[in-house]
Amino acid sequence: MFYIALRILLYDKVRSLITLLGVIFAVGLIFNQLGTFLGLMETSSVIIDHTPGDMWITSKNSKNFDFSQPFPEHLYNKVLSEPNVASAEKLIVAWALIKQKEGGTEQIEIVGFDPQRGVGGPWEMKTGNAGQLNNGNFAIVDESALKRLGNLQVGDYRDVMWRRLQIVGISRGVKSFTTAPIVFTSYKLAQNLVAYIGPENTVFVIAKLKPGAGLAATKEKLRQNLVGVDVYTRDEFSYKTRRYWAVETGVGFSFLLTIVISFLVGMLIVGQTIYNSTMEHIKEFGTLKAIGASNFEIYKIIFSQAVINALLGYVVSLVITMITVRLYDAIGMVLVVRWWVNLAVLALTLVMCSTAAFVSIRRIKKIDPAILFRG
Amino acid sequence: MAHPIQTEKLSKTYQDGRVEVTAVLPADITLMEGEVVGLFGPSGSGKTTLLSILGCILRPTAGMLSIYGNDVSALAETELPAVRKKYISFIFQGFNLFPALTGFENVLLGLRMKGMTGKGAELRAAAILNEVGLRERMHFLPRDLSGGQRQRVAVARALAPDSPIILADEPTGNLDHANGRKVMELLKELACVQKRCVVVATHDNRIEDIFDRTIHMEDGKICGIKRSSS
Repeated sequence: MFYIALRILLYDKVRSLITLLGVIFAVGLIFNQLGTFLGLMETSSVIIDHTPGDMWITSKNSKNFDFSQPFPEHLYNKVLSEPNVASAEKLIVAWALIKQKEGGTEQIEIVGFDPQRGVGGPWEMKTGNAGQLNNGNFAIVDESALKRLGNLQVGDYRDVMWRRLQIVGISRGVKSFTTAPIVFTSYKLAQNLVAYIGPENTVFVIAKLKPGAGLAATKEKLRQNLVGVDVYTRDEFSYKTRRYWAVETGVGFSFLLTIVISFLVGMLIVGQTIYNSTMEHIKEFGTLKAIGASNFEIYKIIFSQAVINALLGYVVSLVITMITVRLYDAIGMVLVVRWWVNLAVLALTLVMCSTAAFVSIRRIKKIDPAILFRG
Repeated sequence: MAHPIQTEKLSKTYQDGRVEVTAVLPADITLMEGEVVGLFGPSGSGKTTLLSILGCILRPTAGMLSIYGNDVSALAETELPAVRKKYISFIFQGFNLFPALTGFENVLLGLRMKGMTGKGAELRAAAILNEVGLRERMHFLPRDLSGGQRQRVAVARALAPDSPIILADEPTGNLDHANGRKVMELLKELACVQKRCVVVATHDNRIEDIFDRTIHMEDGKICGIKRSSS
């Protein structure tokens, strides 16, 4: 039946090409929207996911990574005193202003960490190294921010919160969901730069547990011992951050809506062409029914047409998407293509095209072979 | 031995709004193996309705229809495809061939729908197309065949599955006289050799001599049955 369906599709090349383009358009859009959404989600929690540490202690009711508020630094010692905690690090994430070379300011996100320990700092350097942030007014910027901040070079100076900092390194892969450039400094410098943090506060404490220490049990103990803060496992905080951007800002709904619309558009295009083709061949299908073919036998031809459209459209869309990934990268965006995304889109495409075939199936079911006797 | 088709007081009435229309008045017919029967009558005489009932496509309103001794008049609509699959093939005026498939593939598809697959089906399709004189053109698409050749493919599709009953509705309607005659002679020859029962609804009097028997209808009523003198 697959072969017969293919022959029917190949017979009317123009119509088949239009259908195929429709599927490619719809599936390409689904790939694009899903990939961009996942890219944004990965970006939103990129520092959490790349920071070694099992537990994140944040201010009470923190919404996400970017908008966490400061809390007293002395709680760090309480975290360290917990027997299951092997080590703990303080991390500052705060909003600041950088003066542009050609005038004006740009809002940035400062990440202050202990350069000697490296926890919370950049995980991949293009030039320089994180240790150079020690003992001075030094900063590292990410290469994704270079367009926004001007063509910064190692050794350049910039004013951050009215204090002159020297760029000592360029990191790689640290993009922010908010699109604000991320600038790494030492923990102490970040405390001094951002007035609302102050010298006795931190924004996060990241704890690493001893081998064999129970995650849930330790979290519960920390939660009981620490007042005025929240305690999350790394995965929980990563999820909370992603969920905030996806759900509470409406970004996720917007992407979902586009995916649903793409799905419906694809379904309509495939459905319409398969239906037209079925109607054109209604007498032939009727003849098959007249000679005793079951509906199921004819459904197989119709569904095969849908599946061929789905598979061809999917493969072409996937190839286009793979090429687009490089394009996205070049313009500083992330398009996520993973094997499970590919599988999910394939399933969605098959569902889309098969559902489209149902209208034709209904028509076939209702064919009265008596129409064959009407000239 | 049971006859291919036997009817007793078979009739069909339609409800057209509030009016009851009688398409076929009570008819008693018995059709034999190897017999080619012509169903004659003007348009609206009921011959197509009778053919549809004999082909288990329409259900009679009253009376009995027996196919090889099985009373099928009382069967549910859903049970009729199985009867058609086992006993009946059709030939239509418009050929109804898939334009995307070659003559060979159209015949093969007909065989598949009757449950015959694999190499056996391919050999059978090729053999029957050879028999209808399309050996050289069996791999042509319908658009590349003449009207007569297309109807030969349709005849081959009907004959290929060994269905003992062949029902044809105006099979020469889209053909010129010479081609129409050729197709009918071919059908008759194959029916006689293979002991099929062939019923042809037509109003083409020029092919009347081909039939073993002719049934004349008017206003839904059988008004005469004539046996061929040849």
